[in-house]
Amino acid sequence: MPRLVATLLAVSMCPAWAQQATPSEETTTPPTEPATDGAPQEAGLTPDTEVTPAKKLDELDERMTNAEGKIAALEEQNVETKNDLSALKKLKVSGYVQARYQYQESLDDTGAGGFSRFSVRRGRLKTTYTTDWAQLMLQIDAVPTTGVTVRDAEATLYLPGTHQQLSLTLGQMKWPFGYEAVQSSSDREMPERSRVVRAFLPDERDRGIKFAGTFLEGKLNVSAGLFDGDGIFNKGFIGTDNDKEKDFIGRAGFDLGWLSGGVSGWYGHSIAKGPNDAYRKAYERDRVALDAQLYMDLVPWGATALKGEYITGKTYSKSDGDTKVEQLGIPASGWYALLVQNVGLTNAVAVRYDWFDPENGRKNAASDGKPASTNSVGTLGVALLHYFGENLKVTAAYEMPMTASPDGAKDPHDNLFTLQMQAKY
Amino acid sequence: MKAFLQSLVVAVLLALPLAAQAGTLTVKGSDTMVILGQRWAEEFMKKNASTKVQVTGGGSGVGLAALQNGTTEIAMSSREMKDAEKQKLRTRYNTTGTEIPVAKDGVTFYVNEANPLNALTVEQLRGIYVGDITNWKQVGGADAPIIIYSRENSSGTYVFVKDHVLDGEDYAASAQTLPGTAAVVNAVSKEKNSIGYGGAAYAKGIKELKIKVGNEEIAPSAENIKAGKYPLARDLYFYLRNKPSGEAKTFIDFALSPEGQALVTKVGYFPVK
Repeated sequence: MPRLVATLLAVSMCPAWAQQATPSEETTTPPTEPATDGAPQEAGLTPDTEVTPAKKLDELDERMTNAEGKIAALEEQNVETKNDLSALKKLKVSGYVQARYQYQESLDDTGAGGFSRFSVRRGRLKTTYTTDWAQLMLQIDAVPTTGVTVRDAEATLYLPGTHQQLSLTLGQMKWPFGYEAVQSSSDREMPERSRVVRAFLPDERDRGIKFAGTFLEGKLNVSAGLFDGDGIFNKGFIGTDNDKEKDFIGRAGFDLGWLSGGVSGWYGHSIAKGPNDAYRKAYERDRVALDAQLYMDLVPWGATALKGEYITGKTYSKSDGDTKVEQLGIPASGWYALLVQNVGLTNAVAVRYDWFDPENGRKNAASDGKPASTNSVGTLGVALLHYFGENLKVTAAYEMPMTASPDGAKDPHDNLFTLQMQAKY
Repeated sequence: MKAFLQSLVVAVLLALPLAAQAGTLTVKGSDTMVILGQRWAEEFMKKNASTKVQVTGGGSGVGLAALQNGTTEIAMSSREMKDAEKQKLRTRYNTTGTEIPVAKDGVTFYVNEANPLNALTVEQLRGIYVGDITNWKQVGGADAPIIIYSRENSSGTYVFVKDHVLDGEDYAASAQTLPGTAAVVNAVSKEKNSIGYGGAAYAKGIKELKIKVGNEEIAPSAENIKAGKYPLARDLYFYLRNKPSGEAKTFIDFALSPEGQALVTKVGYFPVK
């Protein structure tokens, strides 16, 4: 190829060469007017200035050599540029913002509670750098309420010779447990995770080490590891472990395309002082979960998905402002079922029912006409989604929590309307 | 509830332009398949004047990305959809897509007609394309540097070769990428020390390399590809988000009909039926 280009350059230079030759021919033309002094005409006739064909060929050869050199240099630069670009391709920057308007009616007839507010729920910026053997992932969340916080900070080693099918990750990452906790908030149809997932997997993340692998061409997958176990916003221990105990957490799943699912387990302890304890003691912190997702092509206007998950265990968390407080040793359970129907290319409807019992074995109760805080809560939610291209999703959701209200107690008026715009890149 | 109704009205209004586009079918993707797709479209439109079929290339990756972002009804792909692409489709549309093999092909390595070599092993091809082998004499040819031509990374053929020949390794940095298999063929025909690859249908005017397996040299012929003997045989696919319906179904039915499959042979590929 360089020779081809050089030849083309040489051919293109021929007219210029011809033009250069003309004046020299002119210089050899005898003058029409006689010399005044009788001396012979010198211009162009001396051997020093005459351009011979051999000289012209030498000149052409030199130019071709120069051209070839330049092409070789350009090729080197091209390889260098490709190497630089190849390094840049390993870097991926993404993010999304979820901005909201929410309205909740007053909790009771006295007018207490309720709100009408604008908020920024999530402002994520994620950077991933992936090579054949390693991956760095850093995700921060920047929102007006809590400022900038680190969500994920992971260092991953892909085990050599496994084509990135097996990996070992150390850092702060999502717990490998269940489906909804691991799913990105930007992909979820409902504005928030279900109540049971929020309780058992607060903020979905922790510090630890995790092994992940896929087998049988992706049909089987396993993720398991050791984690601090107390999450990232445990009250009094934000970003650190509350004890020396490590929790074993893992999920084994399958994926057939149209059907996926898995079983998850969590075994560990939280060493802490309960409300009636004189000293710290070890409380069981464990969970078991089953999840399944079914994808169907039932109607011509769009696909249908049915997803569900059940979790039961001990020691879950309750929100206390921006932090979480562990409910030490308390057994709880819950589940959700979600139906999503796509309508054409740009719309979807989602209906979710989730149920959570914050204290298994304790009967629902009431006092002063209000349900007890340990009563079970079932929530029916409906969401309409519209996609404006690839980058913008608008969600209008209405959620109706129904707290068990025995003995004539009144269910709080805590229905919630959320209008959310999500921009993503 | 009022807000819901308003959202519903907005959604319906936004869906109207889609309805207005009825009668136009978009087919996008693999450059290997673009000529075949155009031939199908031409013949199909002769019989179905009310349907306009727009066929464009860009590479399998481009077609599959268009399927994910909703800008094409059918994606043409010369490779299977990757897990990550299936995952994206499932996340956005709650479907893993529908895969329909519409033709067969054999990825072919080409050299210049002046090259004395007739066959190489897959291992030798891997050595050349990852940059371990840089001179033809290392594989029994003349003492001349090897000029490598490749495809852009949006190409399904690029991915197929990376997966099945390079065993997942990266291409040599010296590999020159060209837009479309026709460009690769053209370049190889002009550069006597070069090697390139592409679909069988493009292999005109240059020498097709056979693949050496043991003592046997297997050519990318119709018989070998149909019999599954040629090591680099592959299916060419149509991908859809959902089960085919309406105009898309009619078009796919035509492509798979005896008439449509005859066009496959005419273009230079091999029928699936």
